[in-house]
Amino acid sequence: MKHILKMATVAAALAAPAWAEKPDDGLVHESASAMEGKTVAYVPIAMGFDLTEAWASGLRKDAEAWGYNLTIRDPNWSVDAGAQALSQLITEKPDVIVVHPPEIQAYARLLKQAARAGIPVITMNLKASENTDYFIGADWYDIAVQQTEQLIEICGKSNGGSGQVAVIQGVLTNPTSQYGMMAIEATMAAHEGELEMVSNQAADWDASKAHAIATTVLKANPDLCGFAGMWDNMDVGIAAAIKEAGKQGDVHVVTSGGGNKDSACDNVENGNFDSYISYDAAGQARDLMMAVRAVLQNPPEEAAAHPVAVYTPLKTITKESLYPGACWSLDDLNTYGP
Amino acid sequence: MSFRRSLARARYKYVPDHVLGELLSKNWVDNAIPVLILVLTLVVLGSLLDGLVSVSSLLGMSAQYGEVLLVTIGMTVVLLAGGIDLSVGSVFALANFVMLALFNMMGLPIGVAIFGALACGAAVGAVNGILIGYLKLRAFLTTLVSMIIVRAIVDMLLLSYAVKIANPVTESAFWDFISFETLWGLPFSFLAAAVVAIAGHVLLTRLRPGWRILAVGGSRRSAYNAGLPVKRTVASTYVISGVLAALAGVFYASRLNAAGSGTGAGLEIVALTAAVVGGNSLGGGRGSIFKAVLGAVIVLLVTNSVIRLGLPAGGDSLVLGLILLLAVGIDVKWVKNRSKLVSRVYVSPAHMELSERPETAEGSGSPYALNDKLADVELIGLGQIDGPEDPVLDEDGNIYAGTRHGDIIRFRAPDFAEPEVFVHIGGHPLGLTFDRDGNLLACIAGMGVYSISPQREIRKLTDQTNRSLTSIIDDSRMRLADDLDVAPDGRIFFSEATVRFDMSDWMVDALEARGNGRIISFDPASGKTRTILPNLRFPNGICMCRDGESFLFAQTWGCSISRYWFAGPKTGKVDVVVPDLPGYPDNINRASDGGYWVALVGMRTPAFDLILKNPALRKRMVERVAPDEWLFPNMNYGCVVKIDIDGTVTDCLWDRSGTNHPMITSMREHKGWLYLGGVSNNRIGRYRIPGADPEWTAAKSYRGEAA
Amino acid sequence: MSGGGKKARGISQEGIVIAISAVIFLVFAVTQPVFRTPENILSLIQNVSILGILAVAMALTIIGRGIDLSLVAIMAVSAAWVLQLSNNGMPIGLACLIGLGLALLIGLVNGILIAYLEIPAIFATLAIATAAYGFVRSMLLEDNLIYLKAAQDTWFKVIGSGDVLGVPNPVILFAIVALVVHLFLKHAVKGRFLYAMGENPSAARITGLPNRPMVLLQYLLAAAIAFLAGLIMATSVDSIETRIARSTLVYDIILVVVIGGVGLAGGKGKVRNVIVGTLMIGILLNGMTILNTPYTIQNIIKSVILLAAIIVDSVMNPRDEQTSQQGDI
Repeated sequence: MKHILKMATVAAALAAPAWAEKPDDGLVHESASAMEGKTVAYVPIAMGFDLTEAWASGLRKDAEAWGYNLTIRDPNWSVDAGAQALSQLITEKPDVIVVHPPEIQAYARLLKQAARAGIPVITMNLKASENTDYFIGADWYDIAVQQTEQLIEICGKSNGGSGQVAVIQGVLTNPTSQYGMMAIEATMAAHEGELEMVSNQAADWDASKAHAIATTVLKANPDLCGFAGMWDNMDVGIAAAIKEAGKQGDVHVVTSGGGNKDSACDNVENGNFDSYISYDAAGQARDLMMAVRAVLQNPPEEAAAHPVAVYTPLKTITKESLYPGACWSLDDLNTYGP
Repeated sequence: MSFRRSLARARYKYVPDHVLGELLSKNWVDNAIPVLILVLTLVVLGSLLDGLVSVSSLLGMSAQYGEVLLVTIGMTVVLLAGGIDLSVGSVFALANFVMLALFNMMGLPIGVAIFGALACGAAVGAVNGILIGYLKLRAFLTTLVSMIIVRAIVDMLLLSYAVKIANPVTESAFWDFISFETLWGLPFSFLAAAVVAIAGHVLLTRLRPGWRILAVGGSRRSAYNAGLPVKRTVASTYVISGVLAALAGVFYASRLNAAGSGTGAGLEIVALTAAVVGGNSLGGGRGSIFKAVLGAVIVLLVTNSVIRLGLPAGGDSLVLGLILLLAVGIDVKWVKNRSKLVSRVYVSPAHMELSERPETAEGSGSPYALNDKLADVELIGLGQIDGPEDPVLDEDGNIYAGTRHGDIIRFRAPDFAEPEVFVHIGGHPLGLTFDRDGNLLACIAGMGVYSISPQREIRKLTDQTNRSLTSIIDDSRMRLADDLDVAPDGRIFFSEATVRFDMSDWMVDALEARGNGRIISFDPASGKTRTILPNLRFPNGICMCRDGESFLFAQTWGCSISRYWFAGPKTGKVDVVVPDLPGYPDNINRASDGGYWVALVGMRTPAFDLILKNPALRKRMVERVAPDEWLFPNMNYGCVVKIDIDGTVTDCLWDRSGTNHPMITSMREHKGWLYLGGVSNNRIGRYRIPGADPEWTAAKSYRGEAA
Repeated sequence: MSGGGKKARGISQEGIVIAISAVIFLVFAVTQPVFRTPENILSLIQNVSILGILAVAMALTIIGRGIDLSLVAIMAVSAAWVLQLSNNGMPIGLACLIGLGLALLIGLVNGILIAYLEIPAIFATLAIATAAYGFVRSMLLEDNLIYLKAAQDTWFKVIGSGDVLGVPNPVILFAIVALVVHLFLKHAVKGRFLYAMGENPSAARITGLPNRPMVLLQYLLAAAIAFLAGLIMATSVDSIETRIARSTLVYDIILVVVIGGVGLAGGKGKVRNVIVGTLMIGILLNGMTILNTPYTIQNIIKSVILLAAIIVDSVMNPRDEQTSQQGDI
């Protein structure tokens, strides 16, 4: 064992790091060596969709630049597989774990275990009930408040609308739904008499299910004015149903998402979505890179003792505010970095 | 030439060809495929992933393994009874929720909470069981619906309580122990699953309810017709599955302390895959807990490794799907072809060389010369008895004989007109004899040695002997007990013709011509059964010599008669008495003139003698030719020979036409008559022995009253 | 010969389902004025037309004593590849042909595994569903969710979103598929073979029917129908989410098929049964959505009614210990 260690040291010394040539400004060498050779583990809900790919692209860029190892465990939408991947990682003790919890509670106990094992954890976008060293992501309550306020602006009775709106949720135990519904109800209560929720259903993040529900809701409520969606990838189904019913322009869709061009700007431009609240996954990716750097350079003495909240600034995209660069594309991200 | 021959002899003596067939016919060989897949998985994934096959990595999986194994065992039990349970994933989620709700949210004592969770699982299982077992709904559809209903109920509950149930209002040392601590480095769920696995194994292999499950799964209709409680048995498997899924859910609750809509989703597919990859068959009847254990290991290793491999999105599904396909494909082919393979390789001929065949031609002057002395044999019970291998007479002259139907038939003296069933015992009773107390002792093919009192009480004497360490076949059980005799000290010596073939295939043993048989002694005083002479070529008739220290025994395929001393100065010695008979000797019994009657069940033929020297030819024949066309020893024509103790032939009785007694497996002398039996005859023959002592009976001879 | 067995003994399951559906329909129609509008009835059918088309494909395989758990995967990956090819600049017609080829290829693999390697259909198709999704997703597709972009303004878009005389195209396509399969099963020689094979495969084989090629045909047909369903889905929501391959949609399809009275043991059932099952689910879902019933409650109600239907069927037509088939789960 010792022998292998020695060999590894020799190997590391032979392959002299790039930063060793640079002049030392007092921090650059120290910080770089703190990151080199460390291990960062990333457990998303699943790889292969815009949000998680955007974050991964940031981590990959940094892993290359600073010489840390990035290991991605893809549970592919299975909560159980994610939990198992997480417990496996806890036994492997990486230097930091980046986790994207699918549900509020599912990983809580494992996150506590990770903290006890002294592994710093960064939670992405979906706030678990357990606090970790960093939380980087959207404030779902705020998003839903903004969505409801926009619906009031468009559909509110005092603004000449019918006031009838429908809500289509995703997975119910997800923070998006949990805090989103609270926000919608509270905001509607605060503006009493403006809006009336004629339908509230869950479509499990599935566009075709959303399509089926929206079609029926549209038929059942001829005076419907707007839909509050919870994720762009699902809400394209609502938009399609509206288009089919020939009601584009009469029925409005207010949704949210990571600001990927295909899902966000394109859909706003062609009128599928009237208003889109972006939590800019590219910006989150950059936040994540920085948080990982910070933790690697300066590991917390006691994991999860002092959580840092990095709530993502929200950006509302409408046809009017559709400036070039309002959205990002994954190709660009992978090529040029976040 | 002779070098080649001795080389061939050595090759067939020392290379254990028969081992392969015996291995393949073992039930546990079914596990070979999953074991092979497991080894392959470990090798491939272990080389791709550093540290996969390490203690810490495996321990990291053990908690999850415990849960998956519990569910897989439940699924296996249901599969074995011919059903399927798709609701396990939902029951798992329900139990997880109930556990957390009762303990964390309502603060009930830990025991009550666990009981509540298990009761929920049992309740869902009972509903499934009643619908499928009693109302005879289709398992697939019913459990599919209950899966959706239970899942919907859990989702509904979660909507209101998901956050609340995660924050415990109470504490329990036991719960903390299950949740966080380990015993001998292993998590509690793993140990619990191990206990359940062992209990399940015992249930299925050793206990009546388990046998019923297998019987119902193997053939529901037969089980129903046999009077088994099919409905109850089927229903109970779903309850078992429900409780085990719930137990797994309780452990999940302890591990994660959270409930979500994804909890347990797809678990039914994981469990089903594990059960099938392990080699349990869909449709029931075939499988074991061990297979479930193996399957669960494979599936878990693969799923966890695939996540760690970091493949591009979708790559994990590709790998999983292919492995599932491969495992099931191999399993299907194996199940389909195993019996074919066994029948191809099971028969493994050995080398054997018989000495010159004695002349039997009429007028040749040979002691075996053909005659027609049996031409006028009287027939007893013609067409009323099927397969009297060894008729025996009691002191009153009544005839007893076994039949293929498992009866012992009695013909009453003096006219032997009507057969009556003396006892029904099962198996195929072969060699019979009376002990000194007038009990009828019987060797029963497929069962062992039994004693029947004059009052018709059946008592098992022995059905197993010592297991020899080198045998792959379980040779402790008696497959083909053939003939027996009682020594003066009360010990019973009996032959077991072969340990490799059942009664129905006894002739195939001739093609092997290997020493597959043995002679066994049973001592009624100590109750001990011991194999005393192993590796005999179809040992058959046994008859006590008059010295009280030895017996004669025949080796059918060896065409010889030997003498074994079980007492006295020559104890343990074997002498060959007749080395080269012209036919295949069967039973041996005492004659009134001090000699011994030997039945020759068939006559040697030059062709068969020749192929005995050529095992490879026989092997090819067995592999390529239909069994109907195999070259067998001639069993259509035989005779009775009388020898003296030195092996000199003193008489020979033939039935030239072969119509009265086409096959002779035994003969008994009684009061001047010779009674003839044949294992495939439908009659008993009776031949008046010219000049024989009309008062002589075997019983008197054994008591030493006459010579 | 087919489907008649049950009728002879009593009220058929189909009859029971029709009765239940009628009752539910009446209840909704009386209590909910919106429900009985012609527009709503059409949208009711439209919402279940994809389910119905997939169910027809499933029924084909089940009648031939198989099952195809890979239908949803075939539908999702083949349609997604069509969209991606077209987005990358390929003419939509050619893309459709290639997509159809992909679907048929997966169907062919299914058939070969089941017919020639004799792997039980339930496992072969389960494994292929996973493997095919994995293969296409990792090798051919760039994302889980593929949008309909390039072909937005072509004839292609009309498949799932247009209408003829007010009747939405998905409904028309459902009707066409049902009719074609009905004619195939009823009048084509191969269709009759399928029943014979499902009823008793050994007897069919001994009689000289080409069992193995028939199994291939059955899965190829199912795959082609699934491909059509995929095009409808993609064009009606302007995108296709390949993750649907891993959803529980396939269970819903089986339920629809079996609830209408197609026997899982094979050899029994008609397209009519599938339509009955589809309509029942459609009425239920539509009515409950109008009532604004939460999704989870919808699931419970839907399953309880399904359970009631199969219990009633089982009580009316009890299975006999002497005649039930081994391995018929």
